Amino acid sequence: MATDPSPAPAVRLAGLTYDYPDGRRALDGVDLAIAAGESAALVGPNGAGKSTLLLHLNGLLPGRRGIGRRPAPSVWIDGLDASREGAAVRRKVGLLFQDPDDQLFSTTVLEDVAFGPLNLGMAKGEARRLAMECLDRVGLAEAADRPPHHLSFGERKRVCLAGVLACEPSVLVLDEPTANLDPRGRRRFIELIRSLTATKLIATHDLEMVLEVCPRTVLLDAGKVVADGPSRAILDDAVLMEAHGLERPLSLLIGR
Amino acid sequence: MPPDGPPRRVDARVKLIAAVGFVVAVVVAPPGSWRYLAGLGIALAAVVVASKTPPIKLLARWLAFAPALGFLAVLTAGRVAESSALPWRIAALDLVARNSLAFVAMMTMAHATPWTDLLAAMRRLGMPAALASTLAFMYRYLFVLRDELGRMTTARRARTFGRGPGFGSLASLIGALLGRALDREERVFAAMTARGWDGTLRTLDD
Repeated sequence: MATDPSPAPAVRLAGLTYDYPDGRRALDGVDLAIAAGESAALVGPNGAGKSTLLLHLNGLLPGRRGIGRRPAPSVWIDGLDASREGAAVRRKVGLLFQDPDDQLFSTTVLEDVAFGPLNLGMAKGEARRLAMECLDRVGLAEAADRPPHHLSFGERKRVCLAGVLACEPSVLVLDEPTANLDPRGRRRFIELIRSLTATKLIATHDLEMVLEVCPRTVLLDAGKVVADGPSRAILDDAVLMEAHGLERPLSLLIGR
Repeated sequence: MPPDGPPRRVDARVKLIAAVGFVVAVVVAPPGSWRYLAGLGIALAAVVVASKTPPIKLLARWLAFAPALGFLAVLTAGRVAESSALPWRIAALDLVARNSLAFVAMMTMAHATPWTDLLAAMRRLGMPAALASTLAFMYRYLFVLRDELGRMTTARRARTFGRGPGFGSLASLIGALLGRALDREERVFAAMTARGWDGTLRTLDD
């Protein structure tokens, strides 16, 4: 069994390479380590491979190099090999999808939030209690019995977060958490994210949020890590940002 | 929102069984039992009133169902007439009356029962789990797909400048919707797996 020398970082990628089924290279030798409790942003242009990278953290995609070759271990969560111990890794990693309709499939909100705990083997009564508690944390306890399609986009997004939190993950992986939210919904979501103590990896184009939430930024382009360091230094580097389809956040431009 | 009449508060299982029982009662009577059917009709009307289901809504649903009903009656009236010695037209009327009663009974039951309760009732009454979860998924994603279709139609209309849709563009619209539905299915599957799904659907109630 491939294990990482201790102390294991919460997330470790080593030479992660992945080709899309049509043969295009999505990830090209990504090396990355995120310490427990750290908050890191994953930024990069559309098609850089951000979402693909996130799916790997959950063992949802195998790291593969071409067809027929056995994937070499390249993703570890708390020292566990994600390609071999997918179920154990999914207990540790909570993945928030970009479109809440992809994640909310149950007939009621409460049922959906309880889905993870029930799958993790929790008794029904306890799962119900935990689900209510998580709904309360995101401010939607009163929506428990409503069907998801009656909620607004922002509310659905928060229900999704409650559903992820109910699995009590030690690593939170968020894919574009603030996309399509109105300013109030975005503010509320950012405060929620900030209040969570888990290790966080956030893929986003919302660079203002990065400055607020993540001390560290990883810049990904064409499947490669181009830059990795303090968020302020990376996001303030106009040449670097523009070379990779991004721009300096306004708050840095006007020198807040 | 379903109305809040007394039938709303009855256990969904009782409503489901009562509705199915009503349909059976309608079906078992020999052709031409007008008084019997009229009695059932009055009973049904009482339930409709008690459930505060708007009759206009039931009528609209019935009208949508009527063409299929007429077609069915025309197709089968001949056989019924032969076996019961009723005139053909009376046999057709009998079929229409029965099917309408059964249809309205089911519609009233569905209207007075929130979908989640109805689904839970079916599950508790022994409906196979796979079928119950398929129905639940269908109901959930029907709305998502409807919205998606709405957006695609609007986008197309924005670029056709008032010209009607041809069959070709309709076909490509349906094709595109199918493609999107399949993409979504993959993402839903990934999201479920991410929360520990292993092929068994576990729910809070049963």
